[in-house]
Amino acid sequence: MREMKSEARSPLQWGELDPYRRGRTHVGMWAWLLQRISAVGIVIFLVLHLFYTYKPFVQFMLLTVLAFHAALGLRVILLDLNLVNIKYQRDLIYWLLGIAVALVLIVWFVIY
Amino acid sequence: MDKHNTSRVVRVFRYDPATGGEGSFATFTLDIPAPETTTILDVLLRIQKEQDPSISFRFACRVNMCGSCGMVINGREGLACKTNVSQLPPKQNITLRPLNHFPIIKDLVVDMGPFFEKYDDALPFFEPKEQRDEPYQIRPDTQERIDIGMATDCIACGCCVSSCTMVNYHEGYAGPAALNRAFTLLADKRDALFEARLTRALDSCYNCRTEFNCTEVCPKQISGTRAIKYIQRLALKNLKSLKPLPAHPAELQPTKAPVIPAPQAESCSCHAHQQQDTMAYQTPPPVPAATSEQSCCASRRSFLMGAVAVGSVATLGGILGAASVSPTLEKQPAQWVDLASIASLPEGKVSTVSLQYIRTRAFFSETINTTVLVRNDGDGKYVCFSNSCPHLGCAVSWDELSGRFKCACHGGAFDRNGDVVAGPPPRPLPQLAWKIENDTLKVEVV
Repeated sequence: MREMKSEARSPLQWGELDPYRRGRTHVGMWAWLLQRISAVGIVIFLVLHLFYTYKPFVQFMLLTVLAFHAALGLRVILLDLNLVNIKYQRDLIYWLLGIAVALVLIVWFVIY
Repeated sequence: MDKHNTSRVVRVFRYDPATGGEGSFATFTLDIPAPETTTILDVLLRIQKEQDPSISFRFACRVNMCGSCGMVINGREGLACKTNVSQLPPKQNITLRPLNHFPIIKDLVVDMGPFFEKYDDALPFFEPKEQRDEPYQIRPDTQERIDIGMATDCIACGCCVSSCTMVNYHEGYAGPAALNRAFTLLADKRDALFEARLTRALDSCYNCRTEFNCTEVCPKQISGTRAIKYIQRLALKNLKSLKPLPAHPAELQPTKAPVIPAPQAESCSCHAHQQQDTMAYQTPPPVPAATSEQSCCASRRSFLMGAVAVGSVATLGGILGAASVSPTLEKQPAQWVDLASIASLPEGKVSTVSLQYIRTRAFFSETINTTVLVRNDGDGKYVCFSNSCPHLGCAVSWDELSGRFKCACHGGAFDRNGDVVAGPPPRPLPQLAWKIENDTLKVEVV
């Protein structure tokens, strides 16, 4: 009998050779990613805020990234402590982000 | 029905162990007249029967019970036997690919060994606290039964582990399926291995990032995330029964040779001790093949720690420095305010005029009370001095008798033109821009 060479391919990684993966990602993943990005945004705009304290653009961006980061952090806290049933996790993202955006707009138009 | 409309392109990942390589997609065109009643498994069986008999995939029960046909279908994990063609976006090609994070044996068949190793680590078996002859009664309306719910339905298809983005980045992470199994046993009051299980499971729970990928893809609608959160809350309620795990051998690796004996000896005795305690439910020692990888990761870890330390110091220093320096560098927006009517300023004399105005900085308004010293030179010419001493900002006043501006704080004195004649001030008295509108003198202030 002929000897067969046989070796397993190393594991495929998340998104590797997976053309539709990014287009069909679930919303929880975006929530997580958005919170990470907004955290970087906070660092950037907080430093800018110290140099250009009264620049409206910097103020608005800082307010926005903070609101997003806080809303998504609240999501994790609510789910961690079982204050919101886990089956509402998708609605929770939309609601919290919606409230965050509404608050940003209210705060912005009250001040300016 | 038009035949043209019902044909779909099916792309299947092919990997041949005999030739090796990276693997690639093979494309088939298949007529699928009834996508609502055609499962992905049907599609694969038809391809195997009609077009390419060499294609490999696993299946057994065909009814969503055995969990052997888990694969990535158009970017989402699922069971081939449970996913219908009509559930996929109609414009996408049907793209089938093996699960992530598992070695690929051939085509769509993966080696589930790593999955079950981690499953074993979570102690997936029931160990009764007491031996009973009578069956234990658990009422369906008790809270623990409700909490466990259908989580025991897991069929170990591996979809959750494949969808999890954290499995690959955390060596010891047990993954959603194993943690779900641990959860069902931890929530069970009859189980004797509570402490050992909780300690192990909790160690893995830290790696969850609450992305809900496992929950979204589970063909049995079990939530791995819910199990992980439950274990973490359980740990909060049972802080005293948690014991620190013995150090993982990979953590001891990076220390240099002379340093090793003491901590390793200690951990080994602890290891052995624990082994007796938990009846040898310890993880097997790691394979020595991973040594080079570990040393690489150890240096990466120390590099990252150094980078984080330098980064934090730089950021903190930058913020503090910027906070202390930037207010003085900032360009202040100026405004024109009414000072006095020109009739009230006697010609040839210096008048002291008090001034009140509101300064607004975006979110913050304040009323400024200050004094401006105005010298009327006649012919509509004025010189307006700020009363702030350029030395340390004390209030400067006009002394008519000596004909000088004097600062009470440190004896600074300025002549009629504001030039320094005595004392520490480094610069002449600052002048304000002025203009006359409607017989009113206006000055520019910040």
